[in-house]
Amino acid sequence: MVKIYNDYKDRADFLTVYVREAHPTDEWQMKSNVKEDVCYAQPKTLEQRVAIANDFVQRQKYPLPFGIDDMNNAADLAYSAWPERLYVIDEHGRIAFAGGMGPFKYDPEEVRAWLVKRFGPVTRTSSTAAPKS
Amino acid sequence: MSRFWKWTLGIFLGLLVIAFAGLSFMAGSPKDVYGMVRYALPHMHRGKLRVGEDAPDVRLLALDGSNHFHLRERTGSRPLVVIFGSYT
Repeated sequence: MVKIYNDYKDRADFLTVYVREAHPTDEWQMKSNVKEDVCYAQPKTLEQRVAIANDFVQRQKYPLPFGIDDMNNAADLAYSAWPERLYVIDEHGRIAFAGGMGPFKYDPEEVRAWLVKRFGPVTRTSSTAAPKS
Repeated sequence: MSRFWKWTLGIFLGLLVIAFAGLSFMAGSPKDVYGMVRYALPHMHRGKLRVGEDAPDVRLLALDGSNHFHLRERTGSRPLVVIFGSYT
């Protein structure tokens, strides 16, 4: 997603919305989380969620603009976001693209295809590595 | 219990074991099957938003942990790509 951001940030806005953890240590932790040292319990307070979000941004050097869902999970519920999902909202505030439910139907290339259709392909290469989600 | 019901129960339990074994194979382990059923399925929703519908407005918190903003404040001049996810 970072590559797509770097390619199209001059033409579209981007916002990452941080929702409830997908694989916290106190719920369904995956082996890959342990291997990659991404071990966090499900936040019980907003401060905890903010801390993990900041950890992510710093460890992954994540450059995209960021927003964090409140503990009532309003954004998650409104957008059926958990565990991960992509949307494009047009200039009129309407859904222009609604991605599938992650992880299996989460596909950043669908967003790129939408951006290519709207703005055309980008020919320059991007050197920034993509984040996990 | 009559013989018929014993057979029925036995077949049902056998199918459950086969289903669990299959899910364990797909998910990676029995622990992952439990995790998926216990923690993932209740939160997974197909999604009801469709292209053309108004994007819901929600209040979000900035990374500094103190300033709030609304998602729709970021729309208007250009398309907005929204990426939902978490670190784990």
